[in-house]
Amino acid sequence: MDEDVLTTLKILIIGESGVGKSSLLLRFTDDTFDPELAATIGVDFKVKTIAVDGNKAKLAIWDTAGQERFRTLTPSYYRGAQGVILVYDVTRRDTFVRLDNWLNELETYCTRNDIVKMLVGNKIDKENREVDRNEGLKFARKHSMLFIESSAKTRDGVQCAFEELVEKIIQTPGLWESESQNSKLRLSDSPDARGGGSCGGYCSML
Amino acid sequence: MAADSDPESEVFEITDFTTASEWERFVSKVEEVLNDWKLIGNTASRALEKGELTTGIWEEKSDEISFADYKFSITHHYLKRGPLTDKEAKEGSEEDALPEAMQDLLCVDNDFPPRAHCLVRWYSLREFVIIAPGANSDAVISESKCNILLSSISIALGNTGCQVPLFVQIQQKARRMYVGVCEGPGVRTDFEMVHLRKVPNQYNHLSGLLDIFKSKIGCPLMPLPPVNVAIRFTYVLQDWQQYSWPQQPPDIDALVGGEVGGLEFGKLPFGACEDPISELHLATTWPYLAEGIVVDNDVYSDLDPLQAPHWSVRVRKADNPQCLLGDFLTEFLKICRRKESTDELLGKSAFEEDGKENTDITHALQKLTDPGTVHIPRLSTMSNIVHSARKRMHRNRRVEESPINNEVLNSILLFLFPDAAEKAGEASDVTPSTSCGVGMAATDEDYNLYSQFKSAPSNSLTYKLALCLCMINFYHGGMRGVAHLWQEFVLEMRYRWENNYLIPGLANGAPDLKCCLLHQKLQMLNCCIERKKARDDGRKQLSSENASSSSIERKLSNNSSDKEKKEKGDPSQQKSWDSWSDSEEEFFECISDTEELQESDKKEGAAKGERKVEEGKKETQRWKPEGRLHQYGNMTLLRMGELLYIPVTQEPAPMTEDLLEEQSEVLAKLGTSAEGAHLRARMQSACLLSDMESFKAANPGCCLEDFVRWYSPRDYIEEEVNDKIGNIVLKGELSARMKIPGNMWVEAWESAKPIPARRQRRLFDDTREAEKVLHYLVGLKPADLARHLLPCIMHAALLKVKEEESIEDIPCVRKIIQQIVTHVSKLLRYSNPDLKKLEDIINQIIASEAIIARSRSLQAKFGINKCEKEDEREELERFVSCLLEQPEVPATGAGRGHIGTIIYKLFVNAQRAATLTPIDDEPRKPSSERRPSSGAVPEFPPPTGREIILRTTVPRPAPYSKSLPQRMYCVLLKDDFRLAGAFSSDTSFF
Ligand SMILES: Nc1nc2c(ncn2[C@@H]2O[C@H](COP(=O)(O)OP(=O)(O)O)[C@@H](O)[C@H]2O)c(=O)[nH]1
Ligand SMILES: [Mg+2]
Repeated sequence: MDEDVLTTLKILIIGESGVGKSSLLLRFTDDTFDPELAATIGVDFKVKTIAVDGNKAKLAIWDTAGQERFRTLTPSYYRGAQGVILVYDVTRRDTFVRLDNWLNELETYCTRNDIVKMLVGNKIDKENREVDRNEGLKFARKHSMLFIESSAKTRDGVQCAFEELVEKIIQTPGLWESESQNSKLRLSDSPDARGGGSCGGYCSML
Repeated sequence: MAADSDPESEVFEITDFTTASEWERFVSKVEEVLNDWKLIGNTASRALEKGELTTGIWEEKSDEISFADYKFSITHHYLKRGPLTDKEAKEGSEEDALPEAMQDLLCVDNDFPPRAHCLVRWYSLREFVIIAPGANSDAVISESKCNILLSSISIALGNTGCQVPLFVQIQQKARRMYVGVCEGPGVRTDFEMVHLRKVPNQYNHLSGLLDIFKSKIGCPLMPLPPVNVAIRFTYVLQDWQQYSWPQQPPDIDALVGGEVGGLEFGKLPFGACEDPISELHLATTWPYLAEGIVVDNDVYSDLDPLQAPHWSVRVRKADNPQCLLGDFLTEFLKICRRKESTDELLGKSAFEEDGKENTDITHALQKLTDPGTVHIPRLSTMSNIVHSARKRMHRNRRVEESPINNEVLNSILLFLFPDAAEKAGEASDVTPSTSCGVGMAATDEDYNLYSQFKSAPSNSLTYKLALCLCMINFYHGGMRGVAHLWQEFVLEMRYRWENNYLIPGLANGAPDLKCCLLHQKLQMLNCCIERKKARDDGRKQLSSENASSSSIERKLSNNSSDKEKKEKGDPSQQKSWDSWSDSEEEFFECISDTEELQESDKKEGAAKGERKVEEGKKETQRWKPEGRLHQYGNMTLLRMGELLYIPVTQEPAPMTEDLLEEQSEVLAKLGTSAEGAHLRARMQSACLLSDMESFKAANPGCCLEDFVRWYSPRDYIEEEVNDKIGNIVLKGELSARMKIPGNMWVEAWESAKPIPARRQRRLFDDTREAEKVLHYLVGLKPADLARHLLPCIMHAALLKVKEEESIEDIPCVRKIIQQIVTHVSKLLRYSNPDLKKLEDIINQIIASEAIIARSRSLQAKFGINKCEKEDEREELERFVSCLLEQPEVPATGAGRGHIGTIIYKLFVNAQRAATLTPIDDEPRKPSSERRPSSGAVPEFPPPTGREIILRTTVPRPAPYSKSLPQRMYCVLLKDDFRLAGAFSSDTSFF
C-alpha cells in the first residue's frame, strides 16, 4: 500500500507548552479538536500520508512537550528532521518572545542546515490577541521561514501549514533523497586537470 | 529535413542514392554532417585577439561516418566566440572576402600557443574539421586511399560551399599527420605536411627552411616579396644542481622523544618525497623578424637566446609525485575495506585478561547489579594506569609478536593519555584533569569543520587516536598494528572505568551529537565514570566521617538508622519511605547531594528540638524538606504559605545517537492509537515522576498546583477576579487539560512519594551503559574503527592542507579546499559513506598537496628566500605563482630581467656541471657582448626544440593570380622534423 509513496518525511513540532502543538497535529491527522487533550509528556508521534503536487509523501510527525524539563529529551528528535513547525500562541506574547530560544535550539541540535522551517501563529479564533500578524510575518522573514496563522479549533490554516511545508521540502533538492546521486566530483577546476601533456590532441610542442 | 522544401535537392538526393557508389555515399554523408553543423557559407568574423587561441574556450562536436564498412570519426573543433556585432557582421559579409582560416594564416598574434591542438599550433586556426579513422579502425596509409579521401573532402567542400578547413588524418595516429583543404570563392588553400625522424642537414637552419618555403610557393614573381619570420628556441633544464629536493621520506626507525622519524604523534606528514618539478622549459622567442635581418645557416648563427626579445617559461610537473599526506590517507582508507577482526589479526583472546575474571559482558553485568558486591576500586597511582593495562596484555602474547614495539606504544599511549604522565609519582587519588575546555580551545573554523564533517574537536582523544592509528597503519605493522593499538586502547578504557579515572581529552557533559559516534561513545563512558566515581567518592566520604560504621554498605543499607528513626515524626510515613530507599540498587547520589546530606545531618542535630515544636504546630507538613536546590523567586506554596523551592533533580540520562535512534524507534513502534500514545507517555513519565518526587521532598505540604507553577507555568492560569467585597484579587487554577480527571500528570502526582533525587532509583544506569559501551568497543573490527574515524582523518587532512596553504598563499588550492569541504560534508552526513567517492576526494587532497609541493620546489629553485630586494622578490613570487597556474609565463625583461638572470644562472650551472667546469661565482652577465662562437664551454645547452614560422603573401599559381597568404610552420627536434605548409592558390585565374 505504501508503494506509491514518494518518500517519508520527518517533521517536528516545537514551541512553548500550551500553544496548541498537539491540537494542531490532531486537527491535521484526525480533523478533530479535543478540548480534553492531555498535556504531552516527552514526545508524541503521529503519521499521515498526504499528496502534494501529485506526489505522495508519508509524514512521520513528532510532537514535543515544550516544558523546560522535557527539553533534555527532545534534542534527539531533531536529528534527521527535514521540516520543523515552530508554533506560538497569538494570544500570549511570552510564547512569541521565546521563539528565538527555540530557533537556537534548532540550530544546535539539527543535523542538517537545510531544514525547512515554518512559523505558525495559533489560536487566531480567540479574541484577546497579543501578537499582530505582521509581527509574525516579520519574524518569519528575518529567519527565512514559511509563515501562516492558524486555529486548531476552527481548522483555519492547519491543512495549509502542513502542505506548504511538505511542498517546500520536496522542492528543496538533496533534502528528501536519502543520498544525493549527483555529487560527482568535478576535477575540472583544478589547474592540472585541463590536460597535462599528451591528451586528446591538445598538446605542447615538446 | 530542411531540404525537403527544396524540390531540386529532393530530386538530387533521390537520384543520388539510387545509383550511388560507396564513394559517393561517403561524400554525401560528409556534406550532410557539414550541413547539420551549419558550417556552410562565409565564415568571416572578427579578427583574433592576441593569445585568444590559448585563452579562449575550445569546444568540439563529433559524429561517425563510414566509407563502406570503414569507420571514421568526424570532429568539429572550434573556438567559442560571442556573436558578431552588427558592424562586424557587415564588414565580414563582403562577397569575396577570404575565408577566415586563410586570413588567420598570417595572424602573428597567436604564434607558439603554450597549449593547443597541433593544427592550431601549426596553422593558427580557430576552427577546423577532422576526419580520422575510428577508434578501432586501421590507419590510412596507402597513397591511393589518402588521395581518395582528399578528393572526397574537396568535393564535399565544393558542393556545400563550406569555408571551414577540412582535414583527414593519415598514417599512424601518433605521427599526427594531417592533410587538408580550405575552399573559398575562387581560392583554395592546401595543407600539406612533411614528417621525418631526422632533421636533414640542409634544413637544419633558417636559410635552408626559407629555401624550401620559397621553392614550395614556386612564385613566378622576381624578386619575391620578403618573408616574415617568427622563431622560438626552447631550452630544457633537467639538472637542478644544488637545489636538490629537500624532503626525504621520514625515517621510521628513528624514534626521538615521542617522535617517529621526526614526525610528532598527532601530526600528519605533508609534502612530496621527490621533486614535483622535473623540468624547466625556457622558450626564447623572436616574434617578428624580416628575412635577411638575421643570419642562421650551417656555419653561423645570429640567434643568441640571451638576445631574444621575449622569454617565457614553462615547468614540467612530475607525474603523480609520491605525496606523504596522500599516501597516509590512501593507506588508511584501505583499512576500511578489510574484513579481519582484531582476534584474527592478533590471535585469539586479544581482549582477555589472564588470571582475573574475563570481560564477558553478562558476567560483568551480573557482578555489578548484584547488590551484595558493590565494587570498591583500589586506587593506584596514575602512573600505573597505562602500564598495568598493558602488563595484562603482554602476558597474553609473546612480545615479539606485537606489531608495535614497546617504545613506540608507550609514547603513543602517553600522547593519548597525558594524564598518566602528569600524575606519575603522585601517589594519590587526585581526579585526573577533566579536560575542561576541550572543544572550546578549537578555533571557530575548526569547530565548523568538525560539526560539518561530524568528526571530533581537533584536540580530542578521538581525533588524536585517529591520527595515531593512521600513523601506526603506515609505519608500524599496518592492519595488525592498528588492531594492536586498538586493543590497548580498549583495555585502557576498561581500566579507567573500573578504577574511576576519567578519560582525558573529552569535553565534559553529555555526548556531543555533532561528533562521530565513536566520540559520543567515549563521552558516554566518561559520563558513566563520572557518576560512578561521584557515587563511590560519596560513599568513601561517608564512611570516613562515620567512624562508627565500618563499611559503606552498612551505612547505606541501614538507612533507617536509629538516629534517623528518632527524627522522623510519623512512623507510617517512615514505612513507605523505607520501602523505597532500602534497596541498594535504587541508591542514587552525587557529590553535591552528599554534601547537602551531611550539612542537613548537622543542622538536624542542632535544630532537633526546634523542629519538633514546628512539626507539632503544622500537622500537614509531614516530612522534613530535603534536596532543595534554591528558592523559586519569592513564590510560596499555595496551601502552606512557605517558600517554594526548586528541588535537586536527577540529571537527564546522557545519550549517544544510536541510543536515541533506538529509543525513538521504540516510541514510534507504539503506533498512533490512543493506547499507543498513552503507553508512550507512560514510558516517558519516569523523568516526570522523579521530578515530582524531588519536588515533594523539597517542598513538604505542596500540591500539584505548586508543582505545575514551577514545571509548566502556562498550565496554571491566574485571573483577576472581583471578590465579594469588590476587591480585585488574583485567582489561580490549573488549566483545563491538567484538570482532566485521571490524566497522567495527576496520576503521577498521586503516586509520587517525597524522595529526594539522591535516594531515588537511578534514571540512568551508568553500570549498564558503561558495559554496553565497552562491549561495543571490543566488538569493533579495524575496518569498523577506521570507518568511524574517517571523518576525523579527513578533518585533520584538510586542516593540514589549509595550514600548509596558508604559508604559501595559493589561491587555486584554497579553491580546491573549499570544494573538498563541501563534498566531504555532504558525504559524511551518511553513516556509511561511499568509499569510492572518498577516494576521489583523497585524490583532490593529493592534488592540492602536489601543488603546494610544487610551489615550494619552485620557490627554492628560484631562490625567493635569498632575494633581498623587496620589489624583485615580489616579482619573483608573482612569477612562481603564475607558473603554478598558467601553462606558460613570460619572464619580464627576457634575458636581461631579474628573472632572466636567475634562469640563465640555472642553465649555466647545469651546463658547467655537465662539462665538469668549476662553477664561477659570477657567470657572464647575460647582457654582455656576444658569446664566443667556439672554444669556451657554451653557456646554454643546444636548444631542444626549434620552431620557425614563415609567412608571406604572393600571387599563385600565376603572376596575375590573386595575392594570397602562404605559410609554413617548421619544428626541429632531436628526432622529429616536421614541416606543415599551407599554400593558397587562385582557382579562377591560373
Ligand atoms: N481557542 C483555541 N484553543 C486552542 C487552540 N489550539 C489549542 N488550544 C487549547 O490550548 C490548550 C493547549 O493545547 P495543546 O494542543 O495541548 O498545546 P501544546 O502543549 O502546545 O501541545 C488546550 O487547552 C487546547 O484546547 C486553538 O486553535 N484555539
Ligand atoms: Mg502537547
